[in-house]
Amino acid sequence: MGISINVKTKLKASLFGLVCLVGTASAETILIKDAQIVTLSEQGTLDSGDLLVRDGQIAQIAEDLGDIPADLVIDGRGKVITPGLIAPSSELGLTEIGAAASTNDGAIEEQSIGAGFDPVVAFNPHSTLIPFNRAGGLTRAVVLPYSSEKVFAGQGFAIKLTGDFDSVTKPNLVQRAYFGEYGAELAGGSRAMAYAQIANALAQAQEYAENRDQVRRGEWRELDYSVADLESLQPLLRGEQPLMINADRASDILHLLALANQYQLKLILVGAAEGWMVAEQLSKARVPVVVDVMGNTPDAFEKLGARMDNAALLHDAGVTVAISGPGYAGSHNSYLSRQAAGNAVAYGLPFEEGVRAITANVAQTFGMDAGVLAPGNTAELVLWSGDPLEVTSFAELVMIDGKPQSLVNRSTRLRDRYLSPKAGTEHGYKK
Amino acid sequence: MRLFSESMKGLERLCVAVCGGLLVSTLAACGGEDKKATDGPDFARQGDFPSTYTPQESTPVLIRGATVLTGTGEKLLNSDVLLEDGKIAEVGKDLKVPKKGLVVEGAGKWVTPGIIDVHSHLGNYPVPSIESSQDGNEMTAPNTAQVWTEHSVWTQDPQFPLALAGGVTTLQILPGSANLFGGRAVTLKNVPGRSVQDMKFPGAPYGLKMACGENPKRVYGGKGTLPSTRMGNVAGYRKAWTDAAAYKEKWENFHKNGGDEPERDLQLETLAGVLNGDILVHNHCYRGEEMAIMMDIARDYDFQISTFHHAVEAYKVADLLAENNVCAAMWADWWGFKHEAFDMTEANIAIVDQAKACAMIHSDSAVGIQHLNEETAKAMVAGQRAGFHIEPRHAVAWMTSNPAKALGIEDVTGTLEEGKMADVVVWSANPFSVYSKADKVFIDGVLMYDRTDPARQPHTDFELGILDAEGERLPEGGQQ
Repeated sequence: MGISINVKTKLKASLFGLVCLVGTASAETILIKDAQIVTLSEQGTLDSGDLLVRDGQIAQIAEDLGDIPADLVIDGRGKVITPGLIAPSSELGLTEIGAAASTNDGAIEEQSIGAGFDPVVAFNPHSTLIPFNRAGGLTRAVVLPYSSEKVFAGQGFAIKLTGDFDSVTKPNLVQRAYFGEYGAELAGGSRAMAYAQIANALAQAQEYAENRDQVRRGEWRELDYSVADLESLQPLLRGEQPLMINADRASDILHLLALANQYQLKLILVGAAEGWMVAEQLSKARVPVVVDVMGNTPDAFEKLGARMDNAALLHDAGVTVAISGPGYAGSHNSYLSRQAAGNAVAYGLPFEEGVRAITANVAQTFGMDAGVLAPGNTAELVLWSGDPLEVTSFAELVMIDGKPQSLVNRSTRLRDRYLSPKAGTEHGYKK
Repeated sequence: MRLFSESMKGLERLCVAVCGGLLVSTLAACGGEDKKATDGPDFARQGDFPSTYTPQESTPVLIRGATVLTGTGEKLLNSDVLLEDGKIAEVGKDLKVPKKGLVVEGAGKWVTPGIIDVHSHLGNYPVPSIESSQDGNEMTAPNTAQVWTEHSVWTQDPQFPLALAGGVTTLQILPGSANLFGGRAVTLKNVPGRSVQDMKFPGAPYGLKMACGENPKRVYGGKGTLPSTRMGNVAGYRKAWTDAAAYKEKWENFHKNGGDEPERDLQLETLAGVLNGDILVHNHCYRGEEMAIMMDIARDYDFQISTFHHAVEAYKVADLLAENNVCAAMWADWWGFKHEAFDMTEANIAIVDQAKACAMIHSDSAVGIQHLNEETAKAMVAGQRAGFHIEPRHAVAWMTSNPAKALGIEDVTGTLEEGKMADVVVWSANPFSVYSKADKVFIDGVLMYDRTDPARQPHTDFELGILDAEGERLPEGGQQ
């Protein structure tokens, strides 16, 4: 893994040396030579190619850029470049320790507000989850609230994993809601009631929009929801904001498609364990699906049809598939979406589609300007030690906003402190 | 707190154990020197619910020309494995084709011992996970050493065949971790059974599930009873071991000298079984400090801890583990779902291994159990990145021979040594790859799973007619 750095004088540095560049004088031009490049753009996949980053932008991608001078030249032989990974469903920055309530800001209890809940103010860019997931190749994420009381959980937002104070890229990205068994539980015991609550909220939001002034002046019938909630549903009704809602059972999915059609909603379906049974309908309705590929156990009656090749079958039918990290691992391991994608490929999804499902398809689903490698784009990419979907590969270089990011995190810090654990006090002085 | 409850559901389920006596003969305690099962009182009660598992008769199987990871540290290229009479008959080159039987062409394929998961809740937390079947955690008292989780196992849990398709041939089912003493754990062969006895690994010692840390103190602290703190936990362990030592002495005196038969106490009986070395301690324990305390307790009361489970901080005390001959069962990268799981390093398994302690992967998850080869691969690479020289031929032990050791069954399974049970997986490719699948899984020489032959893919009763009255749960190859 030789990386040579040409900053006036030629220096040789290991990849670890590259980390030293982070945050200091960033190289103005970075050239990665002879790597496989999965662009997911019109350029397709280059089995061996060069990628030049200049001033934070991808300047060129070609099979051979020759010996053009660069501040940093990376030997990409045997390595693979992909767009940065994007998590379609996470609580990054809203949680630190699952079981420590004070470190969790993703949900509220015993409040009147539901759809109007917007946790973006609570986002913590210094969360330890961010450097850890970034080291795993994750460059962006959708961050979602959750609810243990209401079928509408509130507003999700998008972030970059720079760890900077300005890393929220888009607030009010998406409305999160629940159907299926969980929705039923929240709505009083029946999915019919969950459906009715969702439909009723949308109908009243529409009524509110048409009679806003009267409602606000108190000259309208009393509606079931706060003004904040009714306002927050307007972007859905205008088709400006997608409704991200979970359902696993095939019949539940069809009901959501009908609801979306009725209100002209942009739907993003989450879960869809039995999506393969209604793949044609999903495809026709152009509803993208966020799949937990590895969640193949029939762990609920609504998931009896769960199977490892769900992503492949959905893709074959023309559905846009986004792959999340394994549900069992949670937000802390959001970057494991690539292991999930690897499994999807093992079970029939074409390789390039596997990469797309954790990058470009997520970007497309949530309207982010990211997820493909093309000249002119800001460099947001990962250089992998090998096949990006392979469990034995790892990220050697992660760029966000055109800058190489630090790959140090608590996992590596603790490792380095305890590489050879022994009695005594010296571990307390190791950095 | 949805995330937490999901983590708890999937990954931990408040899950405890010991190094026990195998076949009432010599057993190497997971971490221990060989212990003779005593000829004293029978605390382990291996015969109360005896295994009724008997492998079907099998024809010889020759796996030919494969890459073989033996589980003993070797990688053999272009080699053959012969299974006969349910045992590994021979591993070598150019073995003679048996007169009758099955020949598996192994070109491009890899062969390993069957995967062993030391920590599972299949059957006691079955799916679909509805309240009425969540039988893993007797959360009614901090010490429930008297419960045996085999009495909770629903053998029709559709998760068993999924784990089989992931190459898992043996698994330990443990009670949950709500209690200081959760009860007995049981080791199963991953075979269809009408009763749990049909699945019980013949002769495998019982485990005793114990739990450190947050779970017991949260569960009982919330009820206003001891323990509500970690020090409360330790007081609870010591009280119980003190009582158990007295109980054991009483019974041993009776056994030796006769007199009035002491009153039988099922709770103390299990603990006494640990003290005489027949039952193995499997201890849910995340933190380094707590592992160090538990090892001192074990020394005080003269028993051996087999394995710390969910040992997220095992790397911090890896030298102590090695010194005390205690194994650690770990995840590759799970963390953060609670405070004691916060100090995770992906190099955990590798550091423990390099310190010469017995290290292994474990799942505690019905999803994870299907991908233990991938999890082991991640842990291996994390070790390589830490600068250790670790290859698949070595790392394979983390999912085969080391868990066998932890369960006290290493003399009969966990490696491809001649004479051991023919628990074998033929992988489509290098198992340290996300693309690799268990193509064929043999248990005691019988082909229990064949990816290419739907007739050799088991389905539980639950799955029949469940989505389609006339079909399987999943049509055409859905179970792959």
